Order: sequence, then C-alpha cells, then structure tokens
Amino acid sequence: MTASGTVSGTALGKAALPDKVHAWPGLLRIEGLVTLVAMIVLCVWSITIDAPLEEPANPSITPNPAKAPWYFLGLQELLVYFDPWIAGVLIPGFCILGLMAIPYLDVNPQGNGYYTLKRRAFALSTFLFGFFGLWIIPIIIGVFFRGPGWNLFWPWEEWDIHKVVSQNNVNLSYLLGIKGYWAEAIFGLVFLGAWFVLPPLMLWQKKAATNPTIKKMGIARYVITAFLFQSMMLVPLKIFARLVLHVKYFLVLPWFNV
Amino acid sequence: MPDTPCTANEASANKPPCSPCCEKPAHLWGRRDVLVGLGWFTVLTGLLASGAGFVRFMFPKVLFEPSNTFKAGYPWEYSVGAVDSRWIRDQRCWIIREPTGIYALSATCTHLGCTPVWLSTEDKFKCPCHGSGFHRDGVNYEGPAPRALERFKIYLADDGQIVVDKGKKFIFEKGGWNNPEGFLVV
Amino acid sequence: MTGIKEKPDTEKQDLTDHIAQSQIWKSIFRHGFTDTQRNRVLQMTAGFLLHTRPVRVWTHGIRLRYTWGAGGLTFLMYVVACITGIVLMFYYRPVPEYAYADMKYLKFDIPFGMFLRNMHRWSAHAMVILVLVHMLRVFLTGSYKKPREFNWVIGVCLLTLTLLLSFTGYLLPWDQLAMWAVTVGTNMARATPFVGHEGPFAEFLPFISPSFDARSFLLGGTLVGPGTLLRFYVLHCVVLPVVTTFLVFVHFYRIRKDGGISGPMKALEEES
Repeated sequence: MTASGTVSGTALGKAALPDKVHAWPGLLRIEGLVTLVAMIVLCVWSITIDAPLEEPANPSITPNPAKAPWYFLGLQELLVYFDPWIAGVLIPGFCILGLMAIPYLDVNPQGNGYYTLKRRAFALSTFLFGFFGLWIIPIIIGVFFRGPGWNLFWPWEEWDIHKVVSQNNVNLSYLLGIKGYWAEAIFGLVFLGAWFVLPPLMLWQKKAATNPTIKKMGIARYVITAFLFQSMMLVPLKIFARLVLHVKYFLVLPWFNV
Repeated sequence: MPDTPCTANEASANKPPCSPCCEKPAHLWGRRDVLVGLGWFTVLTGLLASGAGFVRFMFPKVLFEPSNTFKAGYPWEYSVGAVDSRWIRDQRCWIIREPTGIYALSATCTHLGCTPVWLSTEDKFKCPCHGSGFHRDGVNYEGPAPRALERFKIYLADDGQIVVDKGKKFIFEKGGWNNPEGFLVV
Repeated sequence: MTGIKEKPDTEKQDLTDHIAQSQIWKSIFRHGFTDTQRNRVLQMTAGFLLHTRPVRVWTHGIRLRYTWGAGGLTFLMYVVACITGIVLMFYYRPVPEYAYADMKYLKFDIPFGMFLRNMHRWSAHAMVILVLVHMLRVFLTGSYKKPREFNWVIGVCLLTLTLLLSFTGYLLPWDQLAMWAVTVGTNMARATPFVGHEGPFAEFLPFISPSFDARSFLLGGTLVGPGTLLRFYVLHCVVLPVVTTFLVFVHFYRIRKDGGISGPMKALEEES
C-alpha cells in the first residue's frame, strides 16, 4: 500500500502515474462532475418524455401484445421456446446462481484489474455470448420486433392483428421416427443426458492431462462449469431446433417437458 | 478459544490443550454440550416456527374475490355453432353452443394466463401474449400453450337459466371433458 | 457584487477568517480549508459523511476510462429513485379504487407531480441499464477475481434486487400495462416446480392448490387484485429498499476492505 511504485503505468505502456491520490479532491471532484452531468441528463429526460400510463387495469381485456417490462422481455422471449417453469423459474435461477459461481469457478489469475481479451479468451467469450446473445439481443427483439399475437414484425411494419404464422411443431423424437410414449421419454432422457455428459467428457479425456487450466480447476470445478455451460448452450440449441426444425420438445415426460 | 469444551475426538488428537474445566475424562456429550445443543435447538426451532408462521400469515383464510358461479341466461339465447363472447368482459369465459349441447370455455390461456381473442374469420382462439392458438373446442394446436383451454362446470338452474361454475374446471388432458357436468345437453 | 471585489483581499480574508474562527463554525467543521496535506486528510476523516470513503484512492480507480463510472451512477440513480419515491408516497394510495386515480391526480393537478413520477420511472430504468453496464465492466476487467469474489456475489444479489424493485414498482400505477406485465410475470410462479400449483411435481404435494402456492403467496389471492397491489407496494417501498440499502453498504464496505477499486498493480504482483 505504499505510494512509491509506478509498476502499473509502465507495465501497461502508459505514462508513469503515482499509485494513489487524495480522494479529496481527486475522486470527489470527478464524482461531483459525473453526478452533475447525470442529473442534467435525467432532468431533461424527465421533462421531455412522460412515463407511460394506459387505461385502468382490466382483468378481462388483455392488450395485444401484452409485454412485460423491457428488462424481462428476454425472459418473455424465452417463453416462446420453453415451458413457463423453465423460462420463468429455472433459467433465471441458473443465471443468478451461475453468475454467483463465476469467481469460484474461474481459476485463471490473469486479467485481474485490466482489460485483456487474449489472456481470458474462454471466460470473456462465454460471458459476452451470454450477456449479449442471450440477454441483450432477446430484449431488443422483444422490444422492437414483437407485435400482436407475439408474431415477429419489423419496427416499421404495420401491426396486422390477423397475421397468420403456421406453427406446427413436433417433438424431436417424432421427427426421428420414434413412436410410443415410453420410447419417446427414454429417447429424450438419452438425448439430454448425452448433451450434458458427452462433450465435457470428451474434452476432459482429450485435455485433462495436458491443459494446465483444466488441471488447475480440478474435477469438481470442471463438472460444475461444464454443467452450467451446457445448460446455457441448451438455450440457443432449443431456439435453433425450434426455428429450423420446428421442434416442440426434446424431452417429454409425464411430469414435465423440456 | 480457551473455553472450548473437549470432545472425545479432540482429546485424543494432538490439539492445543483445552480449558481446565474439562480435562477430566472426556465424554462424547458433556453436560455443557447438551446445554449448548439445547440452546441452539431452541433458537433454531423458534426461528423455524416463526418462519412457518409467517408463511401461513401470508395466506388468508377468506379471500374476498368475485363469486365463481354466474347465471348466463337461457339456452335459446345462444345461436347454434357460434362462439359467444358476451361474458368475456365480466366473467372471462366463452359459451359455445353446439348442435348437441353447450359448454363453457375458460378464457384464460393455459400458458401464462392472458385472455385469448376469438378470431371468427380464422375459427380459432389466439392468445396475444405468446401466440398460442386453440381450436373452437379449446384444444391447443400452435404456440407455447402446454394444454387445451379448460372447461367449466355448466348446468341448468331451476328457473331454466344456464349456470356456469368457474370453481370446477375440467381439463382435457386428464379426461375431464368426458365428464357430463362439463357439457350441457339441450 | 462588484463593490466587494474591489475591496482589498486582506479584508475579505478577515471576513472568512472571522466566520471560520467563530464558535459555531468550529463546532461543525473541525478543520481549515487551505489546501494542505493535513486538511485533505481531515476533510475525508473528520466528518461523518465522507469518512465512509478512503482518504487516498488508486490513481487508476478514478479514471472513467477504467471504471465507466457505472457503479457510482447506479447508486446515484438508486438515491434519486428513493427520494422521488418517498415524495410520491405523499399522494399515492395502494388501493385499486384510488391508485389509478392518483396517477391522474399526479399528472394533472399536482405541481411537478408528473415530473417527479417521470424522474422516479426513468431513474429506475437507468438504474437497471447502469447495473448491467457495471456488471459488464467488472467482468471485462476481471475484478471479481481474488480477493473480490464475495463482493461479486453481493453484486449479483443487488442486480436481482434491482430487477425486483423495478418489477414490483411496475404494478403500482394499476393500468393495463401494469396489470398484464404482472399477470404474466407472476404466472411463472404458478409453474414453479413443487411450490406452484401448475408446476411439475406439484401433484406430489397435496396441500398445494391455486389458493395456497408460490403465486398466491405473491398475489395474496388467486387473482391480481387488491391484495396484490398492497403486497407489491409494501415490497416496493419497504422490504426491498431496506434489503437493497443494507447490501449496498456491504458492497461499498467490501470494496475498501478488499483493497479498493481493482487495478493492474495487484494483478501483476500476484502473477510475478
């Protein structure tokens, strides 16, 4: 905690800077200025744009389309592809727990406290894919591209209430010609089991002995990371299967469907 | 932690010496252990009980919600083959008159509870929230809805009017639609 | 004004000295304001408000290019939402008969009513955006890494609380937008495994019913009705803000205890 070294500046190729400065005025002046700018922006925003207020609540008439607040439209978008308990309970729960687990799963000591891409390629690409691909982009689709009947519309396109989109989705087992209730259930279990077990297992067999990161993680961290990663990738897989192959469910059981 | 009482394991292991009070032959459950255990048991039981009490507190014994049954007029007021939306606004249900009888269909989407819209030109119910579609008998055929719309108990009152009881639901997937109470033969 | 400027500087000095040396002033501010090392420290430590901040901070930590200022701005938006929210409470009644009417009253009949409601609404939206930006920045700089793991966990809790605060507030205007967003949102609770009456495995718990499950716990009944409005109001105005404020202070406290804003120095030390 001494103020002597200037390691940071030189190591990152920047001009040498003192390590620490007085919070007064160094920090507080910047905070004051940022606060001022932010408050001006917020006031102008509040003067120019009114918060929405629609007709009084009426339980018998559902507005078309009925949209959740924008920050939940990513989840509402997932409701098209998953059953409510998965899209509304399981996926958000996994998001929260997965985010909390990140610091305990990431054993890479590099890239702590500075911007770097190449020293944390896997961590960053996974996070950025989840953050933008599965969170921000679905929100944008939900806000700007969903219209009546939750059909896709271009923002400039007129909303046609009677737009008909054929959605005859079938289960994956049916696509592959597997018939019979229990045969379909077993196929679904095998499919999902393979999705969660095979890719991580193959990677482990190939890389565990040689890859220092995997070695450092150990089996417990590896299994949890792989499970969370495969869970996350199941979302784009299902979306792809729905949009391209018209798959309704991967797994059909008496109690729930995936 | 000088006051830590010895347990049998600690006494045998090479650990820092325990407090003098328990240098006697160590018991697995000394008096102090039992009392401390009882104390924690009391605290945790109290917390658990108040937690359970709070959960129960949040569920009132009486709910002041609208009545489940309503009178829907006389059977001849409904034309055969039509999906009648006159009760949608007040009761969230459709009355559908078939040649053989009448049934009441719940206007609550089985996906997330929005109110679907009857599109007579396309002969289907369409949910505005996530695009689920249902045939006129209530069976789901498109979109994310997991099952068919529910039917309500329907019967004739003594004065000849139709009575719909929304408290009793018949679910297609559980064979409920075969129940004669869900279909009024006229 | 110009007259004062023309006076000799010594006299002005005398006046400020006179105030700064008075008993009242000295009882409130226990230090001088000339720019000395000693006063820079005292300014941060002698008073209550600023003593929560460190006396000296990492140079990289005050660069906006590094922090984007997103965490601090999130807190600012939270403070604005709290203050405007308290002011709005003077006029809002969480009862279906009145709630919507109070919105109209705020809009048309109360001076600055609409402005305050806008400010509350937009600061809440800005808070959601900024908390996401803040999380992105913290991840990009790897600031969740040792020794800041637990502060990241608290941050994730705060992100969740931010979304819950926004969501509970969404119902309060009691308009169609509110009603249906909350209907859709809480119907997911109905489908929760085990504790929702339409969720998987609920059939194994015979006491779970539409009036006794996760959804009716939130709604205070089987419909989005008066009970729901009151519950969301209490959550929005009391329960969630108290929890959030507590966690915000834990979050800030831990920034200091974990060594201040993350920066490259520590990382290089550990790697070498």
